[in-house]
Amino acid sequence: MNQAEVSKLVSQLKTRVNPRLRKFRNPKGPEGRLDKLRKTVTALIKHERLELNYPRADEARMYAERLISDAIRYGDTHRTTMEMADYWLVEKQLVHKLFKVLAPRYENYNISYTRLLRAPRPYPGPEDEKAVLELRGNPYPPLLPDNTSNKNLIHNILLEEAKKAYRAKKYAEIAAKIDGVEVPVDLKVSNLNLEESSSSEVNQDDSSSKSP
Amino acid sequence: MNSLRKIIRPVKKCTILSYRRLLSTYSEESARQCEIFATEQKKQKESVGRIEKIEVQYEGQPENSVFSMNKNISTPYDCAKHLGDKIRDRSVVALLNGKTLWHMNRPLSESCILELLHYNFPNPAAANKVFWRTCSFVLGAVASDAFKDNIEIHLHSFPSPNVKSGSFVYDIQIGLDKWEPKNSELKVLSLEFIKFCQKQYPIECLNVDKKIALEIFKNNPHKSQQIPDIAAHNSDKITLFKAGPHIDISRGPMLPNTNHIGRITVTNVIKLDTDIEGGSIYRFQGVALPRTIALNHFAYGLIEERGKLLNSGRIPGAHGTLNEDNSFVAHVN
Repeated sequence: MNQAEVSKLVSQLKTRVNPRLRKFRNPKGPEGRLDKLRKTVTALIKHERLELNYPRADEARMYAERLISDAIRYGDTHRTTMEMADYWLVEKQLVHKLFKVLAPRYENYNISYTRLLRAPRPYPGPEDEKAVLELRGNPYPPLLPDNTSNKNLIHNILLEEAKKAYRAKKYAEIAAKIDGVEVPVDLKVSNLNLEESSSSEVNQDDSSSKSP
Repeated sequence: MNSLRKIIRPVKKCTILSYRRLLSTYSEESARQCEIFATEQKKQKESVGRIEKIEVQYEGQPENSVFSMNKNISTPYDCAKHLGDKIRDRSVVALLNGKTLWHMNRPLSESCILELLHYNFPNPAAANKVFWRTCSFVLGAVASDAFKDNIEIHLHSFPSPNVKSGSFVYDIQIGLDKWEPKNSELKVLSLEFIKFCQKQYPIECLNVDKKIALEIFKNNPHKSQQIPDIAAHNSDKITLFKAGPHIDISRGPMLPNTNHIGRITVTNVIKLDTDIEGGSIYRFQGVALPRTIALNHFAYGLIEERGKLLNSGRIPGAHGTLNEDNSFVAHVN
């Protein structure tokens, strides 16, 4: 079989591609649909974060992902990619942004280049579902609270302690394997050490709280 | 129609039974304690007399503002109510003048600068400690209510809250020898804990004289033994906290409401080796997270596993002082 592998002909996207495209019915037919999406994709590349109705955001996301991945894959010397960029970006100065800013930014990403979040809708008001579509690595403040990087949050403290306990257990097992016969003695010693270290922490904590 | 009635009748009986069971769980002892507590609270409220105004400067989100509040009547919680639902519900404890931690439901006695702490600060150590202490307190309430009537149970104490020890603790004396809890029993305790928190009891705070505290805890040998010692360190006053039907001694502060506690597991009950008379002391351990912090079940499972190890907190003995003792006012480190 001398057939090219189809999966390698197009860039593999990191987002879900809908099996059936949305129609976005309008008087101009399919061309009008693409005009709408071009407008959204251009705005996304320009502003990096948009609030949209959910269907439009979901649909435009697929085209934006494909455009960026092609720009990374083929670069700005590839004729077809340049034509696609010319078609999808209504404002032509954004072609430069696509190849010179976004392609280097996403070069080493192994996750999607865009992010889609469901947004609240005004109540009472129109019942359309809302969404926020953004390019990753944008300069705006984050939309979601950051629960992972702060080590002082209560769940992070607890997870850190769980990690320490797990490691102590593993070290004890390894030590037991090495020493062979002296298994129970070693286990006891390691446990004691662990308890001592943690109780000393407690004492420090107590004394600091009482001292003032 | 008759057949329908036949179906409904047993259900009706069931509900009456369950009501009876609900009523019976509020023991006479806790009813007696609550009555004394309520009388004392009423007395203290009436002794305020003429209403005076104090000026409370609030610093923080959404904007700094000044409130004119009532002396010895208004609480930090009342100030938080002026700042909107979001601030009111997330506030854990108040910080007065940048150094004193103050229970949210305790009346303010003088003009001050007020800050409201929550779990998502860059350094939420104070809020975490308050959360952990309240979990210990509620664990005592749950455990004292969960056992059958023929088993004698006395709360002893809980060590100073330390999140780094991996679990919160309550040491309790139970009239059982060599009890090792099954998984199903721990699950029941966890469920009771969840039910208690879902009732959304506001946690009240009261400073009382030594005499009244001794009267409240006259049936608990450990607490009545601890009270004179605590009072000696706190100008003859004892700080009591009350959530629903349960009253306990603690220096505080605590959460404003039990609905702050989200995910809960009672992880283990371990028999302690102590010289305290009257029966064996068991260490009840658990882990919990605030309602506002969402964690996936795998990560929470790791925390639960860690919570099963014996907590390193001080083991109570017949002699020596308490850890969770004296003054009401805890200082920020």
